[in-house]
Amino acid sequence: MAGPTSGVLTAGGRHRDPAVAFTSLALWLLLALFVVYPLSMLFVRMLTDHGTITTAGLATILTDRHQVRAFWNSLLLATLVGALGTVLGFLFAFTAARGRLPRWLLGIVDASVLLPLVSPPFTTAIAIIFSFGPRGLITYELLGLKGVTVYGLTSTFLSEALTYFPIAYLTLRPILAAIDSNIEGMAFSLGASRWRVFRTVTLPLAIPGLANAFLLLFAASLADFATPLILAGNQFPVLPTQAYLQITGLFDLRGGAALSFALLVPALIVFLLQRYWVSRRFYVTITGKGAGQTPFDSISPAMRNGLLAVCATVALVIVYFYALLLYASLVMALGANHTFTLQHYRTIFTEGTKAIRDTLLIAAFAMPLGGLYGVLVGYLVTKKQFVGRRSMELVSMINYALPGTIVGIAYLIAFNDPPIELTGTALIIVACYIFRYGPTGIRATVALLQQIDKSLEEASQGLGAGSATTFRRVTLPLILPAFFAGLGVVFIRSMTAISATIFLVSIGWTLITVKILENMTELSLGPAAAFSVLVVAIVFVVIAAIGRVLRLFRAPGAMPMTSLLGG
Amino acid sequence: MADSIGVDVDGVSKRYAHRVKGEIYAARDVVLHVRPGEFLTLLGPSGCGKTTTLRMIAGYEMPDVGRIRFGGQDITREPANRRNIGFVFQNYALFPHLSIFENVAYGLRVRGVAEDDVKRRVGEVLALVGLAGYEQQFSSQLSGGEQQRVALARAIVIRPRLLLFDEPLSNLDAKLRVQMRTEIRELQRTLAITTVYVTHDQEEAMAVSDRIAVMNEGSVVQEGTAEDLYHRPASQFVAQFVGRVNLVPGRVAEIAGGTAKVAALGTTIDARVVREGLARGDAVRLVVRPEAISIAAAAQATGPLSATVTSRTFLGEKIEYLVRCADETLQVVRYDAGPDEIIAEGAIVTVRFTDGAVTVLPEAAARGRDDA
Repeated sequence: MAGPTSGVLTAGGRHRDPAVAFTSLALWLLLALFVVYPLSMLFVRMLTDHGTITTAGLATILTDRHQVRAFWNSLLLATLVGALGTVLGFLFAFTAARGRLPRWLLGIVDASVLLPLVSPPFTTAIAIIFSFGPRGLITYELLGLKGVTVYGLTSTFLSEALTYFPIAYLTLRPILAAIDSNIEGMAFSLGASRWRVFRTVTLPLAIPGLANAFLLLFAASLADFATPLILAGNQFPVLPTQAYLQITGLFDLRGGAALSFALLVPALIVFLLQRYWVSRRFYVTITGKGAGQTPFDSISPAMRNGLLAVCATVALVIVYFYALLLYASLVMALGANHTFTLQHYRTIFTEGTKAIRDTLLIAAFAMPLGGLYGVLVGYLVTKKQFVGRRSMELVSMINYALPGTIVGIAYLIAFNDPPIELTGTALIIVACYIFRYGPTGIRATVALLQQIDKSLEEASQGLGAGSATTFRRVTLPLILPAFFAGLGVVFIRSMTAISATIFLVSIGWTLITVKILENMTELSLGPAAAFSVLVVAIVFVVIAAIGRVLRLFRAPGAMPMTSLLGG
Repeated sequence: MADSIGVDVDGVSKRYAHRVKGEIYAARDVVLHVRPGEFLTLLGPSGCGKTTTLRMIAGYEMPDVGRIRFGGQDITREPANRRNIGFVFQNYALFPHLSIFENVAYGLRVRGVAEDDVKRRVGEVLALVGLAGYEQQFSSQLSGGEQQRVALARAIVIRPRLLLFDEPLSNLDAKLRVQMRTEIRELQRTLAITTVYVTHDQEEAMAVSDRIAVMNEGSVVQEGTAEDLYHRPASQFVAQFVGRVNLVPGRVAEIAGGTAKVAALGTTIDARVVREGLARGDAVRLVVRPEAISIAAAAQATGPLSATVTSRTFLGEKIEYLVRCADETLQVVRYDAGPDEIIAEGAIVTVRFTDGAVTVLPEAAARGRDDA
């Protein structure tokens, strides 16, 4: 019934629940410690010099011509990646949503798009060097070119676009699918050509989605540390790598902090734009309602073939890259000696065992904690009334929205010295993962809870169940998929992340991704490739396992976990 | 089955803060008395407060003022889970993660019923609603009508003191609605559970209810049997909301006992008085149902109550006419016209009102809230 919608004025008001009070207090303490405190310390370090407040250091580094160039380079790179990635993502999403693809073909599209999302950060970059480097498979072997240089804007940009366009695909596909094709059919019946229908109906309806995809890709590229480190070279400095070099090369923590601050400003603008501007401009709400029995053929057969050809080409490039990676891990030295060998795997399973063990251990700890954290925060902010509810939602998103470089440097600064000394422990890495990737679980929980009609809990109550029973028997089973989704994302990121944790590894605890980077810089490309293959394999196994578990729950709206990787 | 109880709703109000309108009443001084074993329907347009009232009876909302009693016992502040009610939601609210069996068993398990009894009672009630064999299915595999039956089974298996329905049929197609409402009515009769039912569909209300309480703008405006409401509406709102009606303006010429002579349509018409306080000279409305008017072809317009047919719609079992009579348009329905009916658009006819079928209401009772 069309009842009043806003809050209750008088009775039936807020009950003070000690469990809620305790949990929210505990979460606030954790958020203060692992989100607010490090970020505050970053600012303090940036703006003070031996106890006195000064902006001199900040000014020096921010007016340095090299660093200013890095700033503009970062923006340029992010814009290009955002543009190309959005176009590619749209082509894939449009083909998937409107191309009437058979199931198996859709499966292939999804799988090839999934690959970059679950890979360690250097994979595309390594494959590009293998293909187009000085002794690359294509440039040297195939075309016989000598002395080519692969490093610079073009390769970085293409590598990032290929790595991140799946985010755009995952963002745009549900939006395009939700546009009722009967609307297009209607425009068509009014005499518009298919192209005109696309231009005047489909595209305008998709524009908020496109803007959203662009901003997500922009943010991803802005924050990307690994690709430019490998591919950008010294002619094309960008902020995240400059901040890293400032700290690891020059041991200048304050300069690194200042550079990461320069990164923070555009990142924050993008985050706010995305959250408060784009999200309000969606025309279509995704209801999951079917769009009629016989959808309108939005694209002509020729167009469909064209789209398929483009998508197939991109997918082939991706598959080629990963095949190349696998091949490189199985030969002596790609480009020089193509004798089959298991040498590289032997290397990573002897010299690399510590990194593998550490990574798996850290992931194994971060995974359940991050999943739990996501469900708890998501449940509290959606279903419970307590002081600071909305600010908790916002604060919990901070580490997720910020580029990893900033988070890493902030943790490094905050936890290096007393009172809270965590540097060199596994805990600092685990905490970083929980608060950086747990928010995916928060969002999944919130989304699921919003789909669960209030009447379900009321029905349980009406049948005699108290609030504890209702939570245990109705609410909890329904949000379990979000728990597993959060779990999965934390695990994947624990296996593949580097931008934040590169600052947090130590002699005591190291990570596979850091090992890959070391191998790359030492030009031991074989072991790097073997490590990458290993990570992809582990991630795929775990995703498949979680997918199985998820399928056991017959909850409605159980979202595919991959859709959460979209950022 | 537990003994039937009565429900008393005594002067219950519920306010909400509204973003635009400020503070509004979702329910205002609602008074209802549901007798033990009775099927009472709250009928009204959307926003009239019927669902709010039902949710307060269920315990999902707490009234700001007023008391609610079950069988004389004050349960105003009891939460829903201690009221022992069976509630059927508009969207059924079946637990999507539980099988049909577990959905129906839910309330029994909460009550700690022994496993053997759970099995037996769920089996019985599923058989009762015609869903034996569906135990292991999930709600997503069921049709709307089947989901409706599961919701019903889940509500009655706990042997509630009171059954509450919130627009339970609004998500079903027309044919199924008619079938389900018959089933609900029969089930309620068999189980003799006191029932409060909410709907905005007056035909549905008439079909299922012992009595109907019509609500408007947060209050009950009239309570009675379907016949009471239809033949003796106490306000123009009820007259218009329950069935179709002609409200013919007039003025009281003479009033004596239960009958008034009303000057209307250029003549004087006898009408029964259903509300006290009418006086000579008052502006009134005659309440005339379309089927209480008969028309007969006339050679020419002679004298009062002669009219012109402006529209004729053939609907099979009935014919609907609009006739123009002394500057008023009247709706007329004729059920037994037969194949030789000859009244066409433009025809001149004489209008006649069925004896005793015309009632009179004061003009003031036209719109706003007026107590029955």
